[in-house]
Amino acid sequence: MGRKILIIEDDAETAGYLSRGLSQEGHSVEQVSNGQDGLYRAIDGSFDLIILDRMLPRIDGLSVLRALRAAKIETPVLILSALASVGDRIEGLECGSDDYLVKPFSFAELLARANALLRRSEARVATDPRFTVGDLVIDPLSRTVKRGGKKLDLKPREYLLLEYFARNEGRVVTRTMLLEQVWDYHFDPATNVIDVHVSRLRRKLEEGFDRPLLHTVRGAGYMLEA
Amino acid sequence: MSTKLRIALLAGLLAFASNLLIIGFIHFQTRDEIVLTLQHQVAEQSAALGQVFRAGGAAALKREVLEAAQAGDPQVAVAILDRSGKPLEGNVDAILSPSVSSFGKTRAAVLRMKGESSLLEASVDFRPIGGSQWLLTGRTVSAGISLRETLERSLVIALLASVLLGLLCGLILGQYVDQRVHDIVRVADRVGGGDMSGRVPLSGGNDSFERLSRQINHMLDRISTLMSELRMLTDSLAHDLRSPVGRLRAAADAALAADTPEERDQMLGAIIRQSDSLMRILTTALEIARSEAFTSQNQFSWFDPAQLADELVEMYEPVAEEAGAAIRLDRSSVVVPVFGHRQLLAQALSNLIENAIKYASSGGEIAVLVHDEDSTLKLGVTDRGPGIPVERRDEARRRFGRLDPSRSEEGAGLGLSLVQAIAHLHQGELALFDNSPGLVALLQIPIRGDGKQARRGPLGLAL
Repeated sequence: MGRKILIIEDDAETAGYLSRGLSQEGHSVEQVSNGQDGLYRAIDGSFDLIILDRMLPRIDGLSVLRALRAAKIETPVLILSALASVGDRIEGLECGSDDYLVKPFSFAELLARANALLRRSEARVATDPRFTVGDLVIDPLSRTVKRGGKKLDLKPREYLLLEYFARNEGRVVTRTMLLEQVWDYHFDPATNVIDVHVSRLRRKLEEGFDRPLLHTVRGAGYMLEA
Repeated sequence: MSTKLRIALLAGLLAFASNLLIIGFIHFQTRDEIVLTLQHQVAEQSAALGQVFRAGGAAALKREVLEAAQAGDPQVAVAILDRSGKPLEGNVDAILSPSVSSFGKTRAAVLRMKGESSLLEASVDFRPIGGSQWLLTGRTVSAGISLRETLERSLVIALLASVLLGLLCGLILGQYVDQRVHDIVRVADRVGGGDMSGRVPLSGGNDSFERLSRQINHMLDRISTLMSELRMLTDSLAHDLRSPVGRLRAAADAALAADTPEERDQMLGAIIRQSDSLMRILTTALEIARSEAFTSQNQFSWFDPAQLADELVEMYEPVAEEAGAAIRLDRSSVVVPVFGHRQLLAQALSNLIENAIKYASSGGEIAVLVHDEDSTLKLGVTDRGPGIPVERRDEARRRFGRLDPSRSEEGAGLGLSLVQAIAHLHQGELALFDNSPGLVALLQIPIRGDGKQARRGPLGLAL
């Protein structure tokens, strides 16, 4: 299902690479190379996602973002930036962006984040607040998880991890996305701390069942899928 | 125009103006004094002659007048005039002014003395005698004038001398200021030329120049430190990036030369890992620079450090367990909230925890400490690893101060220096102690009475 994506990026190589990749995923992509044109195209709110570089000619990325949010345009915005420090990331998020990705990035990482944001802009019409993935049922109201009718005993953090996976069912979730969204930390840990948590969760989900649910996606991250 | 000249001219001008005022006052004062004295003398003589007339009549007066005229005092003018003002007796030849009609009203006159051709100014007194004649008594003012001229001359000389002295004082003063400023300018010039070693000489006083000099020296010290840190950072960065870039290149070469797709994929995976590790080094170096420039203080907020530590213990518990170590939280019962950068403190603490896990021997115990004592928040980690010998602790906190060269692949030794930079951002310090065996690494962050830690500017001066 194709969605409309606006890329505001002055580096032609990066823009072309993003544009090709996202088009191959079936999205319709428009690309502009400066902040002024970007703001002009984005201000009518007709896009489903905006990918915004931070350092742009004419109007810089954060100013474009502020202008959009001031005009009540709530299109999800993913900031791309070479400014990688924790302070920079937080500044970007505080300006009203929905996600912040540091250059250089892998396309898999960008795609995973873009999909998560696109999914958020879809109207969720389900009347049942529960998530169902195969024989796994997650109830956000009671914070209980059952698989095949059997209740699983998860720690609070494990539950949050699983709920985040469930919200992005069938989509790749990267390690940094987990660290940012589940733990709210914006630095790169030097150890495999995320992998260890995911594999513990996986053990609890899959122990005694034949079908795997939590898959490792090589070079990208993880995916919850029946 | 040089400062010295400017100050000298200003001092000269001030001396001129103030002396002009004083001398002008003296000048007018003495002139009035001279005139008054003459008038007084004239009035006295006139009264005496009037007395002679009343006592001895016209003959006695005439005798007295002739006697006075012949006494030979060139200053004294004395005469008996007829009704129209024409001299009859005495040493006055003619009166050029005033006219006879204003004889009673004036005390100044212009006369020509007998035997003289020039006109003289005089202070005079006209006294009517016998109903048809006038008695003129006077003092020519030439004597007074010459006195006045002498006085005026000396006043002008004094004025000139004062201006010269003023200029001289100004030059000395200017020389002094110039010397003091020159010391500072010379240092500034050297700094401008790239030589940071110069310092303004201090004389130990407490005047404005001294304070300025001390401030400048302090600023230069701070800039030098920052510059040498920056130089060390770029040097080390250039040096330390060489090996990962080399490995990256080698992996790319290997991928090109790979025989099977599996082998190529493996090499490409290695390339991605290498570039991620490169990025991590760069990001950490940047983070340190940012923290030390205090640019992220506007992201400070209030939070509970004990809760943060608890979250991190929970986060790292599985990793520690896999490494064969146990991790626990060691907190005092009451921990006050702290005003700080939650994300960066989380990163600092997680760096310490990851270090502890990395160096912890199997079965070791790791404790995450949160203590709140003596207005200081102590946030840190203790382990039972090999520790760091006392003499190498400073080195460990320095950028790229790597303790074991063989570990260069992991982290590039920036970890502790980032923790230290984050401690500095919070006005605190990273302290390293012996846990015998093992290491205690503590961020010690002051908590001020009003709760808000002092903010500091980029040069370390309190804002």
